[in-house]
Amino acid sequence: MSAPSVGATDHVATPPAGPAPMVAAARQGRLGDIWHAISRSRKAVVGVLLMLVFVVVSIFPGQIAPYDPTAKKFPPALGPSWQHLLGTTSFGEDIFSQLVWGTRGSLVIALAVGALATALAVLVGVSAGYLGGATDGFLSLVTDVILVLPIFPLIIVIAAYEKNAGFLTLVVVLGVLGWSYGARQLRSQTLSLRRRDFLESARVRGERKSYVILCEILPTMTSLIVATFLGAALYAVLTAAGLQFIGLGDPNSQSWGTMLYWAQNEQALFAGMPLWAIAPGVCIALLGASFALLNYAFDEISSPALRVRKLDRARFPRAEPPPPEPMDAADRHVLKVQDLSVAYATDSGPVVAVDHVDFELARGEFLAIVGESGCGKSTLLYAIARLLGSPLPGEIVGGRVLFQGRDLVLLEERELRRLRWRDLSVVMQSAMNALNPVLTVADQMRDACEAHSDMSKKEIRDRSREVLRLVSIDPVHLHSYPHQLSGGMRQRAMIAMALLFTPDLVIMDEPTSALDVVAQRSLMVQIKELQERLGFAVIFVTHDMSLVSHFSDRLLVMYAGQVAELSKTRELFDRPLHPYSQGLLGAFPALRGPKVRLLGIPGSPPNLANPPTGCRFAPRCPLAEARCLSAEVPLYAVNGSLVRCVLQGHEG
Amino acid sequence: MTETLLRTEGLTRHFKVGKLMSRRQILHAVDDVDLTIGHGEIVALVGESGSGKSTIARLLALVYQPTRGEIWFEGRPLSRLRGRRSKLAYSAAVPMVFQDPYSSMNPAYRVSHGILRGMKLHRGDLTRTERGTELNRVLDAVGLVPAGDTRRRFPHELSGGQRQRVGFAQALALRPKLIVADEPVSMLDVSIRVGVLNLMGELREHEGVSFLYITHDVASARYLADRVLVMYAGHLVEEGPTEAVLQRPKHPYTQLLVSAVPDPRAELGLADARDVGEPPKVVDPKPGCRFRQRCPLAIARCEIETPQLRELADGRRVACHVAD
Repeated sequence: MSAPSVGATDHVATPPAGPAPMVAAARQGRLGDIWHAISRSRKAVVGVLLMLVFVVVSIFPGQIAPYDPTAKKFPPALGPSWQHLLGTTSFGEDIFSQLVWGTRGSLVIALAVGALATALAVLVGVSAGYLGGATDGFLSLVTDVILVLPIFPLIIVIAAYEKNAGFLTLVVVLGVLGWSYGARQLRSQTLSLRRRDFLESARVRGERKSYVILCEILPTMTSLIVATFLGAALYAVLTAAGLQFIGLGDPNSQSWGTMLYWAQNEQALFAGMPLWAIAPGVCIALLGASFALLNYAFDEISSPALRVRKLDRARFPRAEPPPPEPMDAADRHVLKVQDLSVAYATDSGPVVAVDHVDFELARGEFLAIVGESGCGKSTLLYAIARLLGSPLPGEIVGGRVLFQGRDLVLLEERELRRLRWRDLSVVMQSAMNALNPVLTVADQMRDACEAHSDMSKKEIRDRSREVLRLVSIDPVHLHSYPHQLSGGMRQRAMIAMALLFTPDLVIMDEPTSALDVVAQRSLMVQIKELQERLGFAVIFVTHDMSLVSHFSDRLLVMYAGQVAELSKTRELFDRPLHPYSQGLLGAFPALRGPKVRLLGIPGSPPNLANPPTGCRFAPRCPLAEARCLSAEVPLYAVNGSLVRCVLQGHEG
Repeated sequence: MTETLLRTEGLTRHFKVGKLMSRRQILHAVDDVDLTIGHGEIVALVGESGSGKSTIARLLALVYQPTRGEIWFEGRPLSRLRGRRSKLAYSAAVPMVFQDPYSSMNPAYRVSHGILRGMKLHRGDLTRTERGTELNRVLDAVGLVPAGDTRRRFPHELSGGQRQRVGFAQALALRPKLIVADEPVSMLDVSIRVGVLNLMGELREHEGVSFLYITHDVASARYLADRVLVMYAGHLVEEGPTEAVLQRPKHPYTQLLVSAVPDPRAELGLADARDVGEPPKVVDPKPGCRFRQRCPLAIARCEIETPQLRELADGRRVACHVAD
């Protein structure tokens, strides 16, 4: 597995773990994947089956219908019988045969209108979104005007002008008026794609605009285009039936709307022929339902966030937890994470993102958790703060989080709210997303104080000024909105808010990763100073271990959902025990000292849906032996450190 | 120094900012940049976000037109490029690799798409079979083996590092002379970054390509580059051989930048950790040094006169009235 030459190449063997939402987003647009998604969606399957029935009927009406639908040769107004399944009309025609022949009329209108409206929507929406500027302004205006037109009355006016509108008139009128909603959706999708690097890449390559629109943008929007088509077809089924019902269609055509028109004219419901009206009504509803179901299904495919996946809890039997040992006031630990596991549901089954993690945090300790993307570090953090769900999916499926002697896993949301912010606060990665853009810093601090304490207005004002000064922000910025602050100031304001109640534990998720090195360093120095002064403990998640090298007391290295190594920070930098830690340290180019050629770590982290047996790092490990592949590796204690590597096992 | 491949003279790009109702303001993204890149040379362009690095990349890739100044490629000025054919020829010689591996490939196409498109557009003389052979060769050259397997994959089946290698393969298929790489490793995980950096070194070695490596990561610039250019607020503030600039920075901004890089092997440099300033947004600037508000060495002259790059004894150039 580990030839030395591997360092220079990147074997394409297993699909990498990758963050699940990103993969899902990347998948949309491929026909194969769309088909795959359809076959798994119940809505889509029912929709497809219904549609198949209608399509077959409309292709072979002659074979299915027993009689000529226009032949007026039977006794009028017969009830249902074996000869006439749905009875006959007052003109002596067979209702079932009319229904069968009408399918074709209704379906063809739906498909034709769908195609025309979709073509217009794509043309207008994508051009507007991609070309931008004045073109966008004009096309968007047209779209919006058509969108707010009272369509049905307008169609009645047009159709009445064109007496007994034939098939073609109906399709053109419905198509020309029905594209605007889809165009808006396609425009906004195009806008979001416009700055994507693959389009920039095509432009830099020298492609023409027409190529970029037709061959780069459209294929990525397949599912949205299909959804637009289905939406327009649904609208056409209903509108066309409505128009024909009120007599604006060709009364001699074969369609469900026309049937309704004649049934109404002949007072079918009161003249003992209820099926004359009911049968086409049900068919319209079913065809509409079929389009609607397919439309919903495609909406879910094109935005996976709409889909709700449920974790199969039965696969994680929960052992009755032993009663927590009493954590008395003298206990020097503020937090104990015991055997914590987190899983989330995916289409291909549950994924265990955090796998039996154990650690303790002393009062006032600074613990850094480092690891690569997808290793579970953020999930672990969110699980500790009980914030799993959105935006990070997952459920705690085992273990405990003891905070000040209480198990956070078992706490009710109400009790958690009382705890959060006062005793335990969280600083998120992106202050821009965590701060409310329409409230000033002072407003947001006041909201927090009012929700979590009964401080007076004056106390709140004083405290807000005080915490801002703590993070070296001039209190005049209390009345600034988040967008008026620089990136570094926003992050410091977030930290100031987290310190409003002097919590015992502050949890930070990559608070510096959006900052430049200079701002990053000054923020780190500040966090460390505050921590020493106020005595709170810190859990600091980062992907950059050199960032915390001077600040954290201990370092927890995560790999593939597990603790790979837990050591004193200095110890880990000087004598890394786990080959993964060694590899990570060897992957940072040095700013000083001799230049040496680095190799990094070959391969990529495993897919957690299907982790390798034995040591999870073994496939990338330069030291891997046969025994690494056979069994799960426990954590070994080595000179005060914990390490998950069999090579260290015998020394412990 | 090696023979010059690309050279800019007074390269400047301004953007209009501000809404319809307010006064039109001019953002100076890049001002008066003179830089040179030699044949087979790797030049790193470092600076913080908003310093104008990416604007320079896009000026070189013809995404933007310069507001002022000129780019000379192989001795010819780009402003004289006329017609689609000559612009295409330049695009093939100077392709670009993008920052975000998760958005730089079209999710609807296989890996081979971008590479083949580039060849169809720029190397029309190749037959279908020759394109296939060339496709395998470039995938091989960027270390995506086996090539026959990789070319059939979709982007979501590849890791970030593999996607970034595809980006380099796309560039390579055009037989480039200079690859503009805009933060090509900043979104990759630490363990695979080095692999991509090494790849750039190998491509220079074996294919003779020059690189403009744009990054905010000073240590990686040292690892890879022959020369370093440091940008601050749209200006080039220091330029010279990598070791000279990064080991003995002369411009006060370069000194601040280098000292802020986290280095587990060194003591924590706290001397100027109190600096909480950030680069200014350069909107309608007045003359003067753009770093002066944060500068510990600033003198009266810095308020009035914009420092120009001047050459020091060791061959580097610094834009500072005080540094020597």
